[in-house]
Amino acid sequence: MPVSRRALAAAFAVCVVLPLSACGSGGGDGGTADASGKVEGDITFQTWNLRANFKDYFEGVIADFEKKYPGTDVKWIDQPAEGYADKISADAAGGTLPDVVNVSPDLVAPLAEAGLALDLDKAAGQYKKEYLEGAWASHRIPGTTGTYAFPWYLNTGPLFYNKSLFKEAGLDPDQPPKTYDEVFSAALKMAKETDGKVATLANVPTIEDFGRYGVELMNKEGTAFAFNDAKGVELLTKYKELYDAKALDPQALTATPESSGRKFLTEAVAMNPGSALDLGNFKKQAPNLYKNIGITDQITSTGHVNMYVMGVMVNAQTKRTPAAVAFAHFVTDAERQMSFAKQVAIFPSTAGSLDDPYFTKEDGTDETRVRIAAAKSLKDAVNYTPVLFSEQMKTELRNEVAKALQGKQSPKQALDNAVEACDRLLRQQG
Amino acid sequence: MSSVTPVRRQLPVSPWLFAAPGLLITGAFILYPFVSTLINAFTDRRTLIPGEFVGLANFRELLNDDMFWVGLRNSTLYVVGVVPALVILPLLLALLVQKNIPGITFFRSAFYTPVVASIVVVGLIWVWLLDERGLVNSLLETIGVGRVGFLSDQWLLLLSAMAVTVWKGLGYYMIIYLAALANVPRELHEAAAVDGAGAVRRFLTVTVPAVRSTMVLVGALSSVAAFKVFSEVYLMAGPSGGPAGEDTTLVMLVQRTGTGLTGRVGYASAISVVVFVVTVALMLLVLRADRRDES
Repeated sequence: MPVSRRALAAAFAVCVVLPLSACGSGGGDGGTADASGKVEGDITFQTWNLRANFKDYFEGVIADFEKKYPGTDVKWIDQPAEGYADKISADAAGGTLPDVVNVSPDLVAPLAEAGLALDLDKAAGQYKKEYLEGAWASHRIPGTTGTYAFPWYLNTGPLFYNKSLFKEAGLDPDQPPKTYDEVFSAALKMAKETDGKVATLANVPTIEDFGRYGVELMNKEGTAFAFNDAKGVELLTKYKELYDAKALDPQALTATPESSGRKFLTEAVAMNPGSALDLGNFKKQAPNLYKNIGITDQITSTGHVNMYVMGVMVNAQTKRTPAAVAFAHFVTDAERQMSFAKQVAIFPSTAGSLDDPYFTKEDGTDETRVRIAAAKSLKDAVNYTPVLFSEQMKTELRNEVAKALQGKQSPKQALDNAVEACDRLLRQQG
Repeated sequence: MSSVTPVRRQLPVSPWLFAAPGLLITGAFILYPFVSTLINAFTDRRTLIPGEFVGLANFRELLNDDMFWVGLRNSTLYVVGVVPALVILPLLLALLVQKNIPGITFFRSAFYTPVVASIVVVGLIWVWLLDERGLVNSLLETIGVGRVGFLSDQWLLLLSAMAVTVWKGLGYYMIIYLAALANVPRELHEAAAVDGAGAVRRFLTVTVPAVRSTMVLVGALSSVAAFKVFSEVYLMAGPSGGPAGEDTTLVMLVQRTGTGLTGRVGYASAISVVVFVVTVALMLLVLRADRRDES
């Protein structure tokens, strides 16, 4: 059958234009914010790199939920850690975001702003009292009124140090540094004694380091950054001294948490922050380091250590709001969080769980000692990273800090530039 | 007349049906993203926010963005550093492995191995080799040179990434040259040798003119690839683009600006349009230079 040129041109135009019309985020055909209906139907639950180690645990949780709420069917999908934010953004932009999603506060902020995260103060406010106050607040977004994810597990960790390297540098391995000043002077001594061959720290200061040092990160309204104050400049100036003395690893300017972890593992640096999870890793991958491992408290000038918060959000566009909210709550309730904490070195965000003997009674092992210390510090820990601090802002800060360390600009100028760039990005985020 | 016109104005459907899968794939994966990028470049679209038309604002912002100029500088330096090496070295390598001597197949395969190796694996291996405590620095320290900051100095980092690109690309372009060299008549070399031309003279007056069009092709392909470099620099310099981001290339800037939940898709698209324009200009420049030489 012959086809006219016009028909072909029209078909071609449709092929090109039709996908264009699919652009945009979300859509107007979302579900309801009312979670009070019957808990039923099929929902999808997405976790963040948890299947490999916790398949049985999650299958058990899902089976328990489906048993408690007959007529529900939970499909579990797990995404690798690498590129998780990109996967969520692709799903969110394509309208295929799962009903219940494992998120961190910085991921939930843009989703909430785009209207894709359900406001749990409205849809599930009755559960608020079950969680630690600080943990519930960690998914609030400045400039909005709601809370956009159930708090899930928390994590924090001590500062690990290499006793053998400390000893070689003439430092007392049993008296690790407790304050920033002590860390800086130990690092300078280490560099001097080893002729710059062993650095003490492997990372440039991040936004949470500024927070722990006592720098005001944002103004009270959450509308502008403020880490370029005198305290911030003081911290960066001290890091500059470390960099010049080779007390900060020369590759710190391009380091990632993974690469600095490897440096510590290979005994190229003497101190590194970590979590209770790392002990097993040291034992397996670096037995020599494990024999010489020293553990001290996270350094903080504010009296509050940093904590990492994981959350579980409900897609505001879900067609099964009651089931999605019920499942998100089920996964994060005290019973499930406690049982998850016994499988892996994480900490529950539910009220009272940290008083369980599991987090308070010593048994003489290093693992338990780290766990008890972490659980104690978590009770008043702070998530220093502002929820609005995007990846682009992290890069801006990192690059300006690097210029200051290289001596291309003063610490004050670097922080002024970083604040200016982050404020501009904040305005662009709306 | 009236019975002829419809036949002329209508096309048979069969060829279009045969071409349909290819056309659909081209439309969906090349044409649509291209048109979409062009449109987005004139909007303030973000990952989750559709955005509005902003005219030339993104392009004006580019002019005042220091990181854009850093990216343009690095991508241009990459072309300048990598293309001559990738035009000349594979030709010399091809001449070397062209000879029929026992065991030469092994060397041909060995030179081609980096081409088939994953760039991520290759990048990580080079990072380990060039690390402050890696093999290369240990050797340098042993011979008294001392440690060199291959991965901490912005220029050495860029040079190291260029070296990896050249090392990985040698085998691919060597194969292209081998095919071209097979077509060079042996008689030309013999005649030149009879006239008293040495090996270098024969290379310059026989081999080079005979493979000139292949050299242009290699130049065009490698310059486009070099200008769009991403993986090598990303793996070796890290996501932040080296110390203070000074090793960022334009494509890295597109990735950094346009991805993630807060990605500025409109601005990243504007950078992509610049990359496209420069890439086309590079191709035209190489082809034009070739035509001028021919005339």
